[in-house]
Amino acid sequence: MPVTVSPDTFTYVSFEAATIQRIADELVGALGLQDRIVTIAVDETSPLARTDMQIVDGAIAIRAASGAFEDTRKPRQQSETITATALGRVLLRASDRLDGGFGEAPPDEELSLAQVAAWETYCIGRLERLGVHVNRQRWLYNFRNRHGFTDAGDVAFDALWSSPGLTWAQLCAISESALANRAPAATSAPAQP
Amino acid sequence: MRKFLPVDDLARDERFAAITMKERFADQRTALNIDGAAQDKPRTKFRLTPERRDASDGARGLMHGIFVGEIQALEGAGRTCFDFETAGVAKTGTAATESSDMDVPFALKLDMARQCWDEARHVEISVKLSDWMGTEIGQYAENTVLFAAACSNDPVLRLAGVNRALEGLAIDVFTTMKEFGDLAGDPYLEFCEDWMLADEVTHVRMGSDWLRKVTEHDPERRKKALDFQGVVDKLFSYGGTRSDSDESPIGLARRFRSLAGFTDDEVEAINEVSIQALDERKARIAGARAAADHAPAG
Ligand SMILES: [Fe+2]
Ligand SMILES: [Fe+2]
Repeated sequence: MPVTVSPDTFTYVSFEAATIQRIADELVGALGLQDRIVTIAVDETSPLARTDMQIVDGAIAIRAASGAFEDTRKPRQQSETITATALGRVLLRASDRLDGGFGEAPPDEELSLAQVAAWETYCIGRLERLGVHVNRQRWLYNFRNRHGFTDAGDVAFDALWSSPGLTWAQLCAISESALANRAPAATSAPAQP
Repeated sequence: MRKFLPVDDLARDERFAAITMKERFADQRTALNIDGAAQDKPRTKFRLTPERRDASDGARGLMHGIFVGEIQALEGAGRTCFDFETAGVAKTGTAATESSDMDVPFALKLDMARQCWDEARHVEISVKLSDWMGTEIGQYAENTVLFAAACSNDPVLRLAGVNRALEGLAIDVFTTMKEFGDLAGDPYLEFCEDWMLADEVTHVRMGSDWLRKVTEHDPERRKKALDFQGVVDKLFSYGGTRSDSDESPIGLARRFRSLAGFTDDEVEAINEVSIQALDERKARIAGARAAADHAPAG
């Protein structure tokens, strides 16, 4: 069934609901989620690049702030590539949760920053193989920020990026292998009580 | 070569996309708490630290801002070398050597030439850091307000605009980025920002020293320059993107500003105009949204 996008028309940004819907429909088809109800609500008053997702009775509800679909070169205009990357990430996460192997993953809002980065790496690697243009170095930098700038961290990144199928436990084990090799916290970080 | 180049004539290739301050202010989106009736609601913290969920993308965006800022600082300092006649030297095409207020000492030009050398190096470092962080040249819109606001036709205002306001902002931005790199454990980012920060402190010092020397016997001109700097400082706060408030992604680097020769009162004045800019932005957006809500339908 087709994806539903709201609002129909935008006033704060020059986005097209039909473009968002077309990109989402293509991704939903590629990920085998055609039988699911998928809704996308865009908060056009926020320039943040945030996306949230909830699964209720098997339906996928995505909320996106407008920055998630915005062309960074042309503020308030939409970028198809950036839209595909943002929607692809969140739909892959939904698909992981629905397809099994991720049953014990905590709700999104309870994930640690390292777990979020590890899961994103796993999603973006698969998106690249689906043909979405991504900048691998950007996501490596994102992963390094959460797992340390170490060789072990980069090995973990490669494992997540190139894997076609992981469970939550496997994903966490790879993330933890990088964290175990992380350098001690920076000197200016506040001491833990 | 043309003197006093207008901002629209800056040389950029097709990778770059420009955004004007007017376009920026026309954007009525914000994630700030702009609800005046909800003052007790916790403010949203936007200071760029690794704790932010979008930390790496925030750092990439700021790094690109630094990169284009370095290009404009290079253009600004280069223009100060070229736009003004050298005091005591025969004017181009004449034998006259009498000086005017618009002439500058040779030693000032030499300092600006040294600054150009630094800024060119900073541009190269910024390109390499952007590569490292996964950002392409031109991936973010370039706001050329730094050059536009800093390039006055009066050399004293030029020093106030380029070397005090723009370079002062560079100190704030580099300090925020350096602390980010340190906390995130990024060895290159912290190291590079630290070295560039040291140069920026020198650039502000050169501006402060020359401003003082050139206006030594002209307090009125000095006051005019410092007033101009206040206006530019407010503009460079980008609606409160830089201030002491944790709602601002970039903080005010009090210690490094002090090393650069800003007095405590001067730094406090910059903080005041920055907070003012933040409050005005919130009020402007709240006002525009309220007007849109009450506009007649159809
Ligand atoms: Fe610089
Ligand atoms: Fe500088």
